Amino acid sequence: MGRIEWAMWANEQALAAGLILLAGGIVGVAGQFRGWEFASYAIAAGVFVCLLEYPRSKRAKGTSVERTGQYCFTVCVKAFGPVTRNYYVRAFLHAALCVPGGFMLATVLGCVCLGIASLIYLAAAVRGEHWEPILPRKDTRKPVAESIKSPPQNPPPRPPPEIRRKQAKDVEGAAYDNPMSVTDDE
Amino acid sequence: MAVSVRSWLANEAGKHFVLMLWLAANTWLFLDTYLLYSTGQQYHYLYQMLGLGLCISRASASVLNLNCSLVLLPMCRSLLTFIRGSHTMSTRRMRRLLDKSKSFHVACGIAICIFSAVHVSAHLINVVNFSAGFSEDFPALNLARYKGEDPKLIIFTTIPGVSGVLLVLILLLMFISSSHCIRVCNYEIFWYTHNLFIVFYIILMVHMAGGALKFQTNIEAHPPGCLRASQSLRQQQQAEDLDQKQRCKEDAHFQPHYPQTWLWVSGPLCLYCVERFYRYIRSSHPVTIVTVIRHPCDVVELRMLKKNFRARPGQYILLNCPGVSPFENHPFTLTACPTENKQTFGIHLRIVGDWTEHFAHLLLPQPRAALEILPVVHQRRYPTLYVDGPFGSPSEEVFNYDVSLCIAGGIGVTPFACVLNALIERWQSFRLQRLYFVWVCRELQSFYWFAELLCALHEKLWQDNRPDYLNVKLYVTQKDSLQSMSELRYRPLAARLQVGRPKWKLLFDEIGKSNKDKRVGVFCCGPKGISRTLHRLCNSAKSSGATFEFNKESFS
Repeated sequence: MGRIEWAMWANEQALAAGLILLAGGIVGVAGQFRGWEFASYAIAAGVFVCLLEYPRSKRAKGTSVERTGQYCFTVCVKAFGPVTRNYYVRAFLHAALCVPGGFMLATVLGCVCLGIASLIYLAAAVRGEHWEPILPRKDTRKPVAESIKSPPQNPPPRPPPEIRRKQAKDVEGAAYDNPMSVTDDE
Repeated sequence: MAVSVRSWLANEAGKHFVLMLWLAANTWLFLDTYLLYSTGQQYHYLYQMLGLGLCISRASASVLNLNCSLVLLPMCRSLLTFIRGSHTMSTRRMRRLLDKSKSFHVACGIAICIFSAVHVSAHLINVVNFSAGFSEDFPALNLARYKGEDPKLIIFTTIPGVSGVLLVLILLLMFISSSHCIRVCNYEIFWYTHNLFIVFYIILMVHMAGGALKFQTNIEAHPPGCLRASQSLRQQQQAEDLDQKQRCKEDAHFQPHYPQTWLWVSGPLCLYCVERFYRYIRSSHPVTIVTVIRHPCDVVELRMLKKNFRARPGQYILLNCPGVSPFENHPFTLTACPTENKQTFGIHLRIVGDWTEHFAHLLLPQPRAALEILPVVHQRRYPTLYVDGPFGSPSEEVFNYDVSLCIAGGIGVTPFACVLNALIERWQSFRLQRLYFVWVCRELQSFYWFAELLCALHEKLWQDNRPDYLNVKLYVTQKDSLQSMSELRYRPLAARLQVGRPKWKLLFDEIGKSNKDKRVGVFCCGPKGISRTLHRLCNSAKSSGATFEFNKESFS
């Protein structure tokens, strides 16, 4: 199957599951259906999953495209260190979070989606993937060459004053042989 | 940049018209079904029990039927290639609409997702109403077994309920894995989950079995709202005041709906299955690899031979190499089509990504170790290769304009290379009178992929006394080192090479002035930034010059 990055798919699935859980929870609480406490839990769980899954991980190989405005979320998720880096932790966390959603009709879809995401995260963890933050690249400017900073101290070499006077009066006689050849025959 | 009406109409009118037509069809279907269920006599009692949820769920179901049948049609690629190729059946305007088939497929897919959400919500309300509004008067109408039955139980013990849950799950899986990010990074995940559509369609066709919704069959004998013999005395006294109320001749009879989905869906599904089968049969013979040539900047040219393979310039093929991966198919544009003189066809593939790397590794001889003194002669064993195709693409239209502007970015030059190959053979036989060829590359070495071809065509047109037929402009964007093509035989190219990015506005102004009142076909095959800029320029071109029709080659 080549080098598939399961984590990317798991991330999209988990983010979508979080949104569905949130929507189902809102419907459950608004309609005051039987078991609406599970719906209120689903709202909280949905928000938490969305916040955790919003920052995309850096790809192992290739260019990573980050989601709009994910930098602040990246910083927050990075602060938890190995807990959020490891995908085994995420897999078990999502599996645990999704269970209470299965008790109410409005949130059952979110529960199943989160369960699927947890399975994909498990597959990613088994293959050794982990979460890497996408940090902005610091552009290192090329060091400016030394010669640009300091202008030449000495003027260009000129012939001695007698010859300069001769040049001013007699243009033809002022011609001289260049010490170095200027044609590129050699 | 102001938008010019004539240019905008030339570029955007067709696809917006089709979009409006499709939206109108969906809206009409939705409203028609809604009104049927809310005002139809045969649904009177059902409407009384379920309310608005019935109308919305059935209306969204009919829209879903339409979209599930339409979504398959743009994916029948061989059929679309055939339509594109048959000039008698289609005009250039229709062929340009075919370029947008993938966008139409995406639009239908999004409509399916949105209306599925509406349908599911409405049916959930229906289930709650079935349970709470359990009817003692008309027991045949009920889906629940008793009043107040748990809605979850109703859902998971009836065929429509269980199949509905499975359908939603499959749809969600397909939708989430078809996001742009996953398609670009891990195409296989998208492909394998999208192929679950066949399970989706099978379950869809049994979704209506079980007859949850029933309609009344004997309207004349039992007009809805008529008096029944079992009504209480007070109700009868109230009713006797009104003379219009009739007495029921007989009890209401209900019959479940005949499942309709298969009528909508089976046609396109059969068509798609036939097309996949045809493609499988066509690609079951392996091709013979004739030559493999390595080019600078990680490009490999592959020349192949296959019996009965016919292709037009601009088309692309799908390669499958079981030695690399048995299930992956990768698209490559043909750079040389088979002709009467030369039966081989060729592609240029750029090594980027693991499939192409592995494939090139199998094709090219490995660098020998320095210790080997005697050259070992061994038979070059190429891997087996299957070719599916060819499939049509927008670049086929280059020959159907009087003036064409072809803009290529990097390896995107491949469709135009095939065009140039065709021109070298017989430029007189095409409608095309002038070709502007702009090629933008990052490195100078990339131009060597087709430098020979360009110079040969230039030379031929010069000999045939048509030097103004081909206008080549080459741009190299990397300004790090001073570079030029120093070989004598590539002098025509060196003279037309510029360093830096092209100035598109000036180019369009120049072409517009030289070709006043003509339709210029603009063909772009390159990065998104360039194609967006060009699209905007085509729409805003001055009306006093030429009309630019934008055609874009899209990857995947």
